[in-house]
Amino acid sequence: MEYLIHILIIAGIYVIFTLSLNLIVGFTGLAALGHIVFACVGAYTSSLLALNLGISPWIGLITGAILASILGAIVAYPSLRLKGDYLALATFGLGVIVYSVAKNWVSLTRGPMGLPGIPSFSIFGYQISNVWSYLILVLTFVLITYQAIRNITNSPFGRILKGIREDEIASQAIGKNVNKYKLIVFIVGAFFAGIAGSLYAHYSSFIDPSSFTIMESITILLMVVFGGMGSLKGSFVGAFLLVILPELLRFLGMPSSVAAPLRQMIYGLLLVILMIWRPQGLMGKYKFK
Amino acid sequence: MIQQLIINSFIIGCTYALIALGFVIIYRTIKFFHFAHGVVYAAGAYLAYTFFILLNINPLISFFLSVVLTSVLGIAVDRFVYLPLRKHKSPSLVFLLASFGVLIFLQNLIQLIFGAQILTLRTGPIKEGYHFLGALITDNQILIIVSSLVLFFLCWLFVQKTKFGKAIRAVSDDPLGARVVGINSERVIMIAFAIGSALAGAAGILISLETNIEPTMGLNAILKGIIASIVGGIGSIPGALFGGLFLGLAENLGIWKIQAGWKDAIAFVILILFLLLRPSGIMGVKTDKEKI
Amino acid sequence: MTMLQIQNLYKEFDGIKAVDDLSFTVEDNSIVALVGPNGSGKTTVFNIISGFLKANKGRIIFDGNDIISLNPFKIARLGIGRTFQNIRLFPQISVLDNVLLGLKYETGHRFSSALFQTKRMKKEEADNKKKAEELLKFVGLAEKRDALAENLSHGQRKLLELARILALEPKIFLLDEPIAGLFPETKRTMFSLIKKFKASGKTISFIEHDLHSVMDIADKIIVLDHGKKIAEGTPEEIKQNKEVLKAYIGKDTL
Repeated sequence: MEYLIHILIIAGIYVIFTLSLNLIVGFTGLAALGHIVFACVGAYTSSLLALNLGISPWIGLITGAILASILGAIVAYPSLRLKGDYLALATFGLGVIVYSVAKNWVSLTRGPMGLPGIPSFSIFGYQISNVWSYLILVLTFVLITYQAIRNITNSPFGRILKGIREDEIASQAIGKNVNKYKLIVFIVGAFFAGIAGSLYAHYSSFIDPSSFTIMESITILLMVVFGGMGSLKGSFVGAFLLVILPELLRFLGMPSSVAAPLRQMIYGLLLVILMIWRPQGLMGKYKFK
Repeated sequence: MIQQLIINSFIIGCTYALIALGFVIIYRTIKFFHFAHGVVYAAGAYLAYTFFILLNINPLISFFLSVVLTSVLGIAVDRFVYLPLRKHKSPSLVFLLASFGVLIFLQNLIQLIFGAQILTLRTGPIKEGYHFLGALITDNQILIIVSSLVLFFLCWLFVQKTKFGKAIRAVSDDPLGARVVGINSERVIMIAFAIGSALAGAAGILISLETNIEPTMGLNAILKGIIASIVGGIGSIPGALFGGLFLGLAENLGIWKIQAGWKDAIAFVILILFLLLRPSGIMGVKTDKEKI
Repeated sequence: MTMLQIQNLYKEFDGIKAVDDLSFTVEDNSIVALVGPNGSGKTTVFNIISGFLKANKGRIIFDGNDIISLNPFKIARLGIGRTFQNIRLFPQISVLDNVLLGLKYETGHRFSSALFQTKRMKKEEADNKKKAEELLKFVGLAEKRDALAENLSHGQRKLLELARILALEPKIFLLDEPIAGLFPETKRTMFSLIKKFKASGKTISFIEHDLHSVMDIADKIIVLDHGKKIAEGTPEEIKQNKEVLKAYIGKDTL
């Protein structure tokens, strides 16, 4: 039973990731392929502040999210100049660079050894240490994220994002400052991804660079595309299904030397099938054009 | 010390250039980043391992068989994955993601079959290298450099002088115009995949004489190959060579001064700089195209 | 009063002169047609005026300001509304939303208004939805309001693009081939709409490659060939112009 709750917590964290990436990729149409870097910044910031300076995880969470959004602003810059597959390549590259920093800047991050013993959250002195209370914490953040992104997209601002996705040039021709909107969207998306990263760090109490590889970015992108670009409910579905999947494989009793590549094979196959037959995913209305 | 650095840069640069070569020939006809090229490259190495090490087949026959099979693999990827997307007129981002999917699928299939451990094509003890201009260079390394240069020259001749090469250039510059003059662009694409994938397979085998074989070698290779292509000027064959050499030099100079672990980061910083500042690459021509 | 003034515009691509020392004016509340065979540089001129292309040389004075180096969105906000030769709609969103995107919001378009779902935003949304429906009615697309833009016919798309431009309330309309590919009846509708715009005080410039069709509607015709202006005048004057006839028909008498 506890294991099931653990799965729900992980799924919830991925839902926050997927919603935040959906804003950038699904609603605004920006081919951002390195989204995990924001989680990486959030996680490491929050953990290092707690471990080295004894700062409360709540403050660490916010600080991490803010630093992540600053990185988001930086990542936005290439999106102003590059299109489609070139932007994908550049953001992919940024993912590799941030991963390299996490792995090689050993004096700060302890490199591959990782950061153990990350403390958990506490409310009014009560430490959140059992899975049930963690689940409530994560679900609260899921709801906050969902409501925020729903508000953002269900508005004139959100409509402008969709316009940018559909046709940047036409958007400019009707007076929209496209660059400003791209910048905001990256900042907001990075912010929530940073929160998800912190939640993950304090929950699992140990992080290392291997949690933030480029494959993670691909997985989250797959969740967005599979669930449906531009569909918030789809993000829930996509995240849940793709978190449950590897667990099912483990359930079937396969050794990890088989389960691990098999899981990736399914992801790869799913990506190909989606692109050919259903680029709008399960619940999306938007197809790449 | 610096001579060894330069020799090493040259060798690594040639390996990147070889991967980029096949990639560029294919890119010219399909105009998107065929990431799966990396796993075709890896397949070459693994096939050679299967024939030569596991099945004890004569090395030359193993090489030939492997290259033919990787060529077929490349064509198969195009037929089964990219052709349907061409029919849907999908944007290049969709092709890129599908290509990624193929790479991930096949790379992990390789891991499933062969395991994650490191394999090698080398048999027997490592031979000592020759002394050349103050640095050491081995037989295999010389083979890599010579084969790269020969293959580059042959490909350049092929594209510039032969009928097929002209067809590739036509489809590359003006697909509609090419069709109007009767060039069957699907056949041209298939030829490009055949040649490019064969080159990838050959590159995978050659490089495995020098380095190890492991499942993620494909992804690493194609990333460097793409960076080399962009740095050199995407679509340019000489550009692929210069891009590869440039990348090899930059990486080795970089890790001479800073830790080796930053090698990948250096490559991607170079990529991003070129994408933002000089997207046409070293050899590319700047065009002020009107796209509205 | 001159609304738009093009001075010595010059644009070169890869050695080809797309626009060669072009100068002309568009008077307030007039209809000016930019005419010429394909490849004569007409769309390039519009692209430069609307800021999507940077000219090599020249000045563009709009409503008193030199706009030659401004970003396209700023130029649109200054009051230049353009349509595109290949029609640029937002295909996967609704017809109504396409028009709504053209309408002005005081604060409702802001991120903060969205995040906090302010009352102001909701009121502006409601008001603008009414305005958008009016505009759709005006161009005859009212029943299509919920359809996706990509599902419209060619003629309906042209009308939608027009509605979106109207939403912008521009000082000058730049219409790129507004009647291209339309059935005769829709062509008439389009031209009568343009006449209505003029009657309500607007200024319009449009591109057309068929000289005949502009004769009844334009106050002034400017004829381009290979990037150069070869004639400028009223429809009457242009009819007699030998240079124009040579460019179009190849001889200098009709």
